[in-house]
Order: sequence, then C-alpha cells, then structure tokens
Amino acid sequence: MTKRLKRGWTLTAALLTTMLVVAACGGGSGATTENGGAANEPAAATPAANEPAAEPSTGKKDVTLTYIASQGWIKDAEMELAKKFEEETGIRIDYQIVPADQYFNVLKTKLNAKEGPDIFGGQSGISEVTLNYNVEQNAVDLSGEEWTQREDPLSLEQVTVNGKIYALTIWDTANSFVVTYNKKIFESLGLSVPKTYEEFKALSLKILESGVTPIYEPIADGWHHVLWFAEPGPRYDEVTPGLYDDLNANKKKFADDPTMLNALAQLKEMYDLGFFGDNTFSDTGADTATKLASGEFAMALANQSIVNDVEAIGGELKATDFGYFVIPIADNQIYYIHPGGPSKFIYSGSEHIEEAKQYFAYLAKQESLQYMIDNDPTITNLNFPGLKDKYTPAQKELFEMYPKKGTDIQNYVNYVNPQWMDIGKDIAAMFGGAAQPADVLSTIDKRRADMAQVAKDPNW
Amino acid sequence: MRNKLYPSYFAWGTILLYLVFFVVPGVMGFYYSFTDWNSYSDEINFIGFDNFKEMFSPDENYVDFIVNTLNFTVSTVVLKTALGLAFALALNEGIRMKGFHRVMIFMPAIVPMLVVGLIFKSVLNPATGLLNETLRFLGLGFLAQKWLVDAAWAFKSIIAVDTWKGVGYIMIILLAGLQSISKTYYEAAEIDGASAWGRFIHITIPLLMPALVVTTVLNLLHGLKVFEVVYVLTNGGPGWSTDVLYTVIFKEFSMGRYGVGTALSSLLFLVMTVAGYFVIRLMSRQGEEH
Repeated sequence: MTKRLKRGWTLTAALLTTMLVVAACGGGSGATTENGGAANEPAAATPAANEPAAEPSTGKKDVTLTYIASQGWIKDAEMELAKKFEEETGIRIDYQIVPADQYFNVLKTKLNAKEGPDIFGGQSGISEVTLNYNVEQNAVDLSGEEWTQREDPLSLEQVTVNGKIYALTIWDTANSFVVTYNKKIFESLGLSVPKTYEEFKALSLKILESGVTPIYEPIADGWHHVLWFAEPGPRYDEVTPGLYDDLNANKKKFADDPTMLNALAQLKEMYDLGFFGDNTFSDTGADTATKLASGEFAMALANQSIVNDVEAIGGELKATDFGYFVIPIADNQIYYIHPGGPSKFIYSGSEHIEEAKQYFAYLAKQESLQYMIDNDPTITNLNFPGLKDKYTPAQKELFEMYPKKGTDIQNYVNYVNPQWMDIGKDIAAMFGGAAQPADVLSTIDKRRADMAQVAKDPNW
Repeated sequence: MRNKLYPSYFAWGTILLYLVFFVVPGVMGFYYSFTDWNSYSDEINFIGFDNFKEMFSPDENYVDFIVNTLNFTVSTVVLKTALGLAFALALNEGIRMKGFHRVMIFMPAIVPMLVVGLIFKSVLNPATGLLNETLRFLGLGFLAQKWLVDAAWAFKSIIAVDTWKGVGYIMIILLAGLQSISKTYYEAAEIDGASAWGRFIHITIPLLMPALVVTTVLNLLHGLKVFEVVYVLTNGGPGWSTDVLYTVIFKEFSMGRYGVGTALSSLLFLVMTVAGYFVIRLMSRQGEEH
C-alpha cells in the first residue's frame, strides 16, 4: 500500500469516526428532546431545561412539547399556566402560532406528511375532526383521562368519534359571536337593537350617514366573514323545519334553501352599501378592539369578551359602553350555541404522549381552569362545572333577550366546517362580483358531496 | 492522441441515486395521478382519467388557475427580461457608481421571498401602506389603489413584486453575457457605419442569445411553479382570483386529496417540459440564424 493510499484510508477512518461521534451526540438534540435516561434517573431540583447534566431528583423531565395552533386559540392565561407546569415538571411547551388564514393548510400538510407536532389545535365538530384531522389515525384516544368525567358532555360530543374522545376542549361558554355595538353611538342617533334585517339595514344606513362606518369586518383573516352566513343557521332550520337533518341525510341541498340564499343576498347588500368600510378586505381580526375603541366603527361581529379588550386599550370607551345582539340576517332572533371550540389533540406519532396527557390533566384541574377565568379578560366562563363565572350585565341581558337557542350550522351540519376557509373565499368572490349568492351555495354543495364521497358516506 | 476510456461502473452510483430519488418518485407520482389516493382511506383505487377530467370540468375552476399561472409566467418573463436587459445594458457602460447600482438592483434577489412578501403586504396595505401614503402625500391620492385586495389589482401587484425581486438576478446573468462579447465586433461595425440600434440588433442580441435562453428558461420555470409570492401576499385571494397551479396543488395535498394533487403536478410537469423544450429550440434557432 502506498503512503498516499494509507493516508487516504486514515483520513477516511477519522472522518467516519467523527461522523459517528457527531451522530451519536446529536441523537437527542431535536426540537423535542428528552434528556437521556432522565425518566429512570434522579432529576434536578432546579429548573434544568438547559442544563441536562444537573438533573437531580424531583422527577422532572427535560422534554419540550411542540404545540401548533391557530392565532387566537392560545390564551395568555394558558401560556402562564404552561410556565407553572414547566416549573413543576420540567416539561416545556413550545407554542407555534400560525396565522389563521394559513393554519389549516400548515397543520394538514404536517399531518398528511406524518410529521405532526406533539400537540395540535383543531376545531371541534364531528365532520371536522373526522374529515379535517382524521383523528382516528392522527390523534390519541383520551377517553380514559380523568377530566373527561367533568367536561361538559356537549363539548365532549364534538370531539368523540366511535365512542372515543380525541381532544380536550377548554373554551369560553359565552363564545358565540354576536354583534357588539357601541351604545353611545346608538343613543346619539336614537337607534335601538334591531329585530329584523330591514331594521338592521336602516340603522346601519343612519350610522353611515353620520360619518361612522357601521361595521368592522376583518375579511383578511379569511374565516371571520363566514360567520355572518353560518351563525344564523338555527334560523334557516326554524324557517324550514328539519333542514339540518335533511342536509345531513342528503335529502336537501344548500342551493335549494331560499332562506340561505336570502341571507347571502343580504350579506352582499351590506357589503355593497359600504357597511364594512373601504378596507374590509385588508382588515384583520387582531385590530377589532382598536377599531371599536377608536369610535370609527359602531359595531363588530365579535366574541363577547371583546369589550374587555376595548377597555384595556385605555381610551374613553369602557366595557359597559357596549351591548350585544344576534346577527339579524334572515330576521334571525335565535342565540346560537357553540358547544365546541378550538380543542387540543395529541398527535398519535408523538414521542411524548404521556407528557402531553400530563399537560392536559394539569390544564383541566379545577384550580387551573379557575385561574384562566380569573386571569384572562377574554374568558368569562369555561365548559367545566363548579367554576365561578364573570358574566357581565350586558351578557346576562343578552342571554335574557334571546331565550330561544339553537346549535350553529358548522357543529350540526356535516361537511360544513372542514370547508370553512373555502366558503370564505367564495363569499369574498361574491363581494367582488365574481360569483353570485346561488354560486356560493352550489359550490358548498359540491364540496360537501366530494367530502362525503371520500368519507364513503352512505347518504351520498 | 487516443481518448482514455473510463469504465462505466464509475457512473453506476450516480445513476442509482438518480433512479431512486428522481425517476422512481416521478413514475410513482404519475401512477398516483390516476388513482383516488387520499388521506382518509387506506384503499387506493385506479380511476383512469377522472382526476384529469375533473381539472377541465366546467364545474371546477382549475382552468382559471391554469390561465392565472400562464398569465403570471408570460408577464414576468417579458418584464424581467426587458428590465433586466435594460439594467444590464446601462450598467455595462461606464456610468458613475456602477458597482453600487449593480448591488442595489441585485439585492432583492437575495432576500427570502417570505420576507419580501411580508414587507410588501405592509407596503401595499390600502389604508396604512407606504405606497398609498406616499401617493397621498404627493397629492396623487387618486392613484392610490387597494393593491392586494382588489381583484383588478391583486394579480398585477404580485407580478410587480416578483419582477422587483427577480430582475437583479436576470440582470447579472445578462451582464455576464454582455461582458463576454468582444469589443472588436462593435469597433468593426462602427467602422462600417452601423448605428447604435443596428449594433444592438445585429451584434448584441445574437451574441447575447445563449444568456437570454438561460434567463428565459429560468423565468419560465419560475413562473410556472410560482408559489411563495402568491401564498404570502394574497393566499390566492381576494376570492380565488390570484390562485395559481402551485397554490392549488398545495391546498389539494393539505386537504389530503393526493390523487388530484399528483394529477395537477403531473400536468404542471408536462407543461413545463413542453414549454421549456420549445423555448430552448425557438431561441437557439434564432441565435443560430443570426
């Protein structure tokens, strides 16, 4: 063997050895890392996320759980609880918040590529969890967890497939979006809460004439403007009794329903009359409180806690300066109930399923839930019994004003929620004049049929 | 001197890698485009041309997305080539601060598209964006538009942003091409009395043709598979007005409709191959004729 060849072999051997050493050292250094042997060895007494070598004996694990969610789904109070959880257990939660208009694509790409995060957020609803997230394949069965005995059965129902519970839902019970209006503007113009669409249209025109934009509507988020069409669902079912069931049984189509068609036509009219202002296509939900606080807008379709955000801005307007009424499109006077909400799933491919379950159990403890209510202005009550709510007088007034309640369309009618963002695009196209209200309904039917076919729904 | 022949097994490793990572996935993808493969079912059934039929069905708007993609491609190829050539010609001359100008024009090319998208989303905001604010400040408020949210302007805005980002890269390639042209051709033409325009048409363009072929093909392929700029600036909106093939492919895959997604990818592959082949042939022939 020549000297040069020998040197080559030596270099190759050295290189291979280096690669093996580097690979061995790098084995446990991913985003979700577990300290080697930490589960069986005494753990550190001090927080040791960055110092695995100093793990003593409190049973702490050096684990990071990746948690992906859409913007607005993770409340500040939950993040504070996560810090406490980390202090107690050493398990860190790495929140990855994705803009709402891109969330489903990002999440589903990850799930479909089998590269899901440890925990993922998702909307509840039977068709949603089966079709959008395919939870029987992608999520862990949580039926045996203690908190399932306490959580509101209506919420659990929305994340249950074939008798198995797949998610933890911790969400405000007063989460129904309602029209939040500035009482001062209404009083100055002599306006009162509308009971029909025509009354709503008339008062909006009056507001517009006064130089104030009637409604702040953030179309840029892609999902929000769909609420105007979907939330009066109980009204569609009221006008055509049995509509919800007939839609699920494929005996009726969206395109056949005159009330839905009327609702979309009214929504288009609202846009055309300028009720949403000049920049509605670039407005975002994150600015809602600021815009209401500015007094430039008289109303917004928002979660009831928005008034606390307005007050927190520190302007002249206080939370008590706002009142609520339901969306009066199609003359709706029913307060819709949304038993579900953004929920937390554990990815079935996660390497840290037990740690994620531990985190869920921690969040669902009574004291953690009460902490969230007490410390988060966006939460008034949660879907667990025995908690002290903080409903405002305006909310109590709202609940009394609308004694009739119904389930919203996306939680009851199959194959609606999974296409929510697509409906958003259809409605945006309708506003722009590229589609008619009837086209929007036909397209919804087409997508429902596609989904039903994929799901091998016997009704289709 | 006799050329030394190397044994063919030297190439086996590379061929194997190419087969495993390029040919096999390509063939598999082509096969899956004829199936109903999706994320909700373990079954994969052969469904013939159904996915392709769906693309061209009057009930679907895939044709609009194909038209948008072609519109984007043609517009950006023309704009980037014209502007890139203009900049290259200008900066090939002895102007002051030539290096500075070259760097400034090239700089957008190295900024990640996601960053460009986020910046321009802010700049083009109709209410608070820098562009409209500047126009209003200059008393040109009547020119202010809803750049990214008005269907009439959104696509033009995307084309403009992509051109802004890509023109520097094209300029650099054409500049290199210009600098490889010997000055003796121009000197001889000047002695023969050729005008500046004549020299440009009969010397610069033919001798620059190899560089132009490269930039055109690059722009063409970039245009046909455009994704990030659309995704970040408009996500296909308002409505579906700015969706292109790749954003739709992305959405199909994220919806778990793999069969339709691979069918669209196969179609795009076919269009890119055919378009690339004809452009190279056409432009190479023109170069040879000169």
